[in-house]
Amino acid sequence: MRRIYLVLALVLVAGLAAPGAAQQKLKAGFIYVGPIGDYGWTHAHDEGRRLAQQRLPWLETIYVESVPEGQVEPFIERMIQQGARVVFTTSFGFMDGTLAAARRYPNHIFAHASGFKRNRNMATYMADFYQVYYLNGLMAGALTKTGRTAYVGAFPIPEVKRHLNAFALGVRAVNPQATVHVRWIFEWFNPAAAKEATEALIAAGADVFAFTEDSPTVVQVAARRNLPSFGHYSPMQKFAPRHVVSGQLVHWDRIYIDFLSKVYAGRYTADNLADVDYWWLLAEKAVELGGEPGVPVNPVFRTALQAARVNTPDLGRISVYDLVMRRLAQMATPQMTFDPFTGPIRDRKGTLRAPAGKRLTVAELTSMEWAAPGVVGPWPKEP
Amino acid sequence: MEEGNWILATVIRAVALGTPILWGTLGEITAERSGVINLGVEGMMILGALAAFVVAHLTGQPTAGLVVAAAVGGAAALLHAFISITLRANQYVSGLALTMFGLGLAGLLGRGWEGRPLLDTLPEISALTYAGLGVAVALWVVFYHTRWGIVLRSVGEMPAAADALGVNVALVRYLAVAFGGVMAGAAGAFLSLAYRPAWTEGMTAGMGWIVIAIAIFAAWDPLRAVAGALLFGALFHLSFRLQAWVAPELLKMMPFAFTILALAATAGGRRGLGAPEALGTPYVTGER
Amino acid sequence: MRRLGPLVLEPDPVPPPARVLGVSLFAIAGALLVAGGVFAAYGADPLVAYGVIVRGTFAGLREASEVVRRTIPLLLCGVGLALAFRAQFWNIGAEGQLLAGAVGATAVALFVPIPGPWVLVAMFAAGFAAGALWGLLPALLRLRLSVNEVLTTLMMNYIALYGVAWLIHGPWKGATQFGFAYTDAFPEAARLPLLAGTRVHWPTLAVGLVLAAALAFLLARTRLGFEVRVLGQNPTAGRYAGIDPARTLLAVVLLSAGAAGLAGVGEVAGVHHKLLDPGQVSLGYGYAAIVVAWLARGSPLAAVLTATLLGAIFTSGDVLKVALQMPFRVTDVFNGLILFFLIGSERLLAVRIRWAPAATAAVPAEPGVPGTPETGGGS
Repeated sequence: MRRIYLVLALVLVAGLAAPGAAQQKLKAGFIYVGPIGDYGWTHAHDEGRRLAQQRLPWLETIYVESVPEGQVEPFIERMIQQGARVVFTTSFGFMDGTLAAARRYPNHIFAHASGFKRNRNMATYMADFYQVYYLNGLMAGALTKTGRTAYVGAFPIPEVKRHLNAFALGVRAVNPQATVHVRWIFEWFNPAAAKEATEALIAAGADVFAFTEDSPTVVQVAARRNLPSFGHYSPMQKFAPRHVVSGQLVHWDRIYIDFLSKVYAGRYTADNLADVDYWWLLAEKAVELGGEPGVPVNPVFRTALQAARVNTPDLGRISVYDLVMRRLAQMATPQMTFDPFTGPIRDRKGTLRAPAGKRLTVAELTSMEWAAPGVVGPWPKEP
Repeated sequence: MEEGNWILATVIRAVALGTPILWGTLGEITAERSGVINLGVEGMMILGALAAFVVAHLTGQPTAGLVVAAAVGGAAALLHAFISITLRANQYVSGLALTMFGLGLAGLLGRGWEGRPLLDTLPEISALTYAGLGVAVALWVVFYHTRWGIVLRSVGEMPAAADALGVNVALVRYLAVAFGGVMAGAAGAFLSLAYRPAWTEGMTAGMGWIVIAIAIFAAWDPLRAVAGALLFGALFHLSFRLQAWVAPELLKMMPFAFTILALAATAGGRRGLGAPEALGTPYVTGER
Repeated sequence: MRRLGPLVLEPDPVPPPARVLGVSLFAIAGALLVAGGVFAAYGADPLVAYGVIVRGTFAGLREASEVVRRTIPLLLCGVGLALAFRAQFWNIGAEGQLLAGAVGATAVALFVPIPGPWVLVAMFAAGFAAGALWGLLPALLRLRLSVNEVLTTLMMNYIALYGVAWLIHGPWKGATQFGFAYTDAFPEAARLPLLAGTRVHWPTLAVGLVLAAALAFLLARTRLGFEVRVLGQNPTAGRYAGIDPARTLLAVVLLSAGAAGLAGVGEVAGVHHKLLDPGQVSLGYGYAAIVVAWLARGSPLAAVLTATLLGAIFTSGDVLKVALQMPFRVTDVFNGLILFFLIGSERLLAVRIRWAPAATAAVPAEPGVPGTPETGGGS
């Protein structure tokens, strides 16, 4: 509370001393793992930073890109020396370094993306795609002619496994016999690897593509073979206007604006963040369905999706297009009347992962190692 | 599970991925044959990739992009030539500096070009792809069956003797290094116009270093470079095809292990299989 | 000899230290001047930028300690490479030897139960051994089959890189790392202590400094050092002096590669506390160390200085990124320029400039300026 009074006092003084002078500014630093020009993860975080800066007149931001894991602490320190009060670190590998810095600077505020360690002055945040991948899966199940869909995965870690499983559940909800063929490239960004993995999947007979990699490579390779695909992270429909069906888009600015506003208002302090964990989904509008903002499904594919019909337990017989829109609406409500990871769910080895009617918890989602039924291919550390 | 003729499919992938590697390798082999190692391939390649993308984007002419990329690669190589030939500085360090400089400059100038689709692209497998094979054969003929080849190789093996015979050692080295840059620039253009038409920061992702390794693997022979590039392309692709059975890291390790084996197997015996004698050594006129 | 107005340029292949320092400073000044143009293009006043660099690297304990932390792996790799270059063994495989050392240390930290403080000693020993082992194959190939070591050491870098990747994705993947490609974290006893108030893992630094001094002593005062110097000057002359070139070279390579392995121990035990992606374990230290050794002209003691110089250059890049909000690629351009200027100016070192008006100097001109630096290119 002292901070508020201080801010108020400063505002007052500033207002009296120089009418129209700038208010007390809040300075936030952003530490990125990759280059802003990656057109993927880091690009999206930087878009979020710039939107936040535009919307919040009292906000000032600084950033640093391509930070190696072992260097996060010194970079945090340099940002604090530059006057940053809040520091966002945007890679799982930054977790321990961020925690160490949080302990060393108890009066500063930290937020770490995609991790699970928190502190009284360190929150965590994540905009997650699993619901959107499920919707993509529904469409992929309807569009595959060979019954084989494909997924190019970055790393076999819980985040990607969760997205892959959500995609597979979507595919099977529409097309119970279809499979999801998977290849891993063990890198977040490597166009050549993404390309050859896609070619390998094409050679295996797959004809619809989803992926996790920070470039439009998979979309472009599929389009050259006249095959449909789903964009990832950034708007990718423009790279293949007739072949990108939909995809996932992220809006980190939603989280950044909310978090920083609460810091500015004094609701978040360096003392009360131990339980602050943003796990933002469709309902919070942190993620969006589509290959282009505002275009959930590419009109090119509307007829095909409307022609495909499926039976559902709750909605009866319905076109896949309508099913996607209904599920999207259900998940976009604050009550979340539908969630793809709702039991009964068995993994591909037959182990029960969610009993009938039970929804997986956030903790279960973020530690997911099992593979959903229909997934075909290598799956490191499968339980 | 696999459909179609998977051997043929693998060959096609090997050709596609092998093409930029082959172009770069042929250029590097030529430079190294003249006695100048250029570790700046990655830097020249990425400058070529950016130049090609920007020109193709602005003009709608991918071939114009290719030509400009080759010129840009050549210009970057001249920087290395000036420092390592005229100033006689350490070639390894100069090449490392060129890689840093090229990656840096391309990253700076390429800002804002990411995330833009390219409408006019080059086909991945086309006459251009096979042009690499033609260049390889032509270089092989030039190296081993023409006067130019003798001059080039003598400059790389025994610059003092070449000098004594009236060869302009510095000029030959300049030309060879510039050719290496032209080929690396073109290889970069292939990446951003054909292999995956787009610009992304750092998109060469280490391919320039692979090129240097394949040049060694090929024992500085243009025809073996074809084999090396295809083998690398095939193994890289197969590391995804065979992922369920073999750890991809171990497959990717293969070309490098093969290179050591090949070097060991061919060492000691016949002459000419090893590195050019004067590789990495600056030449000083008048010094014997 | 060449004449430029009243100045006479004379060849002088063995430059005195003062000239080395002067020329190097001149080169760095030149690079800063050109880099200033790049800074200006990004809207930063070059003078402000230089000030920020100085403040951010040397102004206080915190700042200087970051330079030191960056210097540690460069020092260990660079000292070893300086020795190898002295013996005309062109080891460019420090990167792979560093990674091998990291693997050796990790194996001890995670899988060998050793009590208390001995575990760190064992990790250093294992790292040295693993690095030396990685240098052994290229050394044997060179000795037995005359295979060019530049090529084999470069190839061994890739094998190490993919080997580490395979370990962290496969057999050594940590059970407690949520599926991420890391080994499990090292136990507390296997982590190096830090200098109070900094992140400098001082035992590695101490090892590096001691090694630099020891190798300098070895080169100057011991039989092995004498042999190395003779071999480096003239490989054939060595035989007449009763030197076994194979034995000497092997010793040099094992020391050189082992030193790089020690750098790998420092990175995993002092910075990361686990084995992780090879591109994160080493930020290209093994390659940068080639520059360190080159600038040090084969002197282990000078490598302490040149490693610090490179550490400071890399840290300057960090400062520019944060303080002036420059894109990270500015630092690559900056580092590339500095390297270009540093090595481009080498030729000036071999030239003595003397004031001699035309009337007094009537020496006939020789063609060209012969003489490259002593360690030039391996001819």
